[in-house]
Amino acid sequence: MLDVIGTVARLGLAAIWLVSGILKAVDPDQTYVAVRAYDVLPRDAVGVVAAMLPWVEIAFGVLMLVGIGVRVVAVLSALLFLLFIAGVAQAWARGLSIDCGCFGGGGTVEPGQTTYVQELLRDIGFVLLAAWLIVRPRTLLALDARLVNTGRTG
Amino acid sequence: MGGATRNEKKRRQEAAERRLAAAGIKPGKTKAAKDRVPMIMVAVVVVIAVLVGGGIWLSQLGASTGAVTTKAASASGPVVTVGDGPVVIDVYEDFLCPQCERFEQRYGAQLTTALDKGQITVRYHAIAILDNLTSPAGYSTRAANAALCSVPAGIFPAFHKKLFDNQPSERSAGLTDDQLIAFGTELKAPADFATCVRGGTHSASVKTETDAAAGTPALTTNGTFGTPTVAVKGAKIDLNDTNWLTTAIGG
Repeated sequence: MLDVIGTVARLGLAAIWLVSGILKAVDPDQTYVAVRAYDVLPRDAVGVVAAMLPWVEIAFGVLMLVGIGVRVVAVLSALLFLLFIAGVAQAWARGLSIDCGCFGGGGTVEPGQTTYVQELLRDIGFVLLAAWLIVRPRTLLALDARLVNTGRTG
Repeated sequence: MGGATRNEKKRRQEAAERRLAAAGIKPGKTKAAKDRVPMIMVAVVVVIAVLVGGGIWLSQLGASTGAVTTKAASASGPVVTVGDGPVVIDVYEDFLCPQCERFEQRYGAQLTTALDKGQITVRYHAIAILDNLTSPAGYSTRAANAALCSVPAGIFPAFHKKLFDNQPSERSAGLTDDQLIAFGTELKAPADFATCVRGGTHSASVKTETDAAAGTPALTTNGTFGTPTVAVKGAKIDLNDTNWLTTAIGG
């Protein structure tokens, strides 16, 4: 039963990363604008982050989907989510009005149209999924089972 | 699985390994060595992702030398014409629009090269659609006006680049007239540049041009005019096609 919960968490994270990564990768200009809107990085660094981020997200998604290094990828995922949470929180605290651009889109929005609470709660939910897999990385249908010597036979 | 069962299992496994060792049989690989396999695979996949992203970043970077075109600029009302090449490219930009800054960062160097080679003529249209996105409102118009002032001052290409390199954020105060004038002074604009910036000499024609562009069906997508809009030989092009400039010059 616990394996089933873990499997749902793993495939959920895989879907989250693949969808958000692909949506960012297909519109690099929008991703650039979204990263820039956080107003944290210098202009050159914005370009680097906007180019790398979609592909790192897709990599995490693929690894989660096939179940390779689930615990490590869960740790990396949690760290990235915490970074996103910090980004959204600082934008909110500084009174910027931006869309997080979490799943494509992004950039500035009308002051009344920010959804910081929903964005933060959603990211915290994602961290909890990752936390489950950090604590208990064993899931069904994961390649890890074939790669790691669990001491089992067959 | 309870802790007791797990310990029992571990004990049995260790016993089994001891018996194997006593019989002179070594396990193929140690547990630690096998545990490393997924770690290595994770590292490989992440490195591939970083390389793909890095490659894309480098390809977007272009041959950005920071130089601007050596071709002369001339203004006809709110339209600034640069270069003398056969392929005419119309560029509609608002100086506050982040996608326009992105456009300049990504294609500015390519446009400069093509201009200097005499392949293209670029007509920059002074557009202000984001005036209400600064407080106080009106940065888009002030910046567009200043850019038109920079033409007779003989510094348009460098001033245009400077405005995008120093683009303020949407919903900020924008740059002040003093800051706009200081940019001109850095580029050695004559004294009447300041008068032109402060006086809003071209503000009315920026408004006229903005309304005209927004009312031109060929420049809109689904009835909406946005910036940046780029037209080659009068037809709006799709900026998702990153080879649009090469295509325009080749065709």
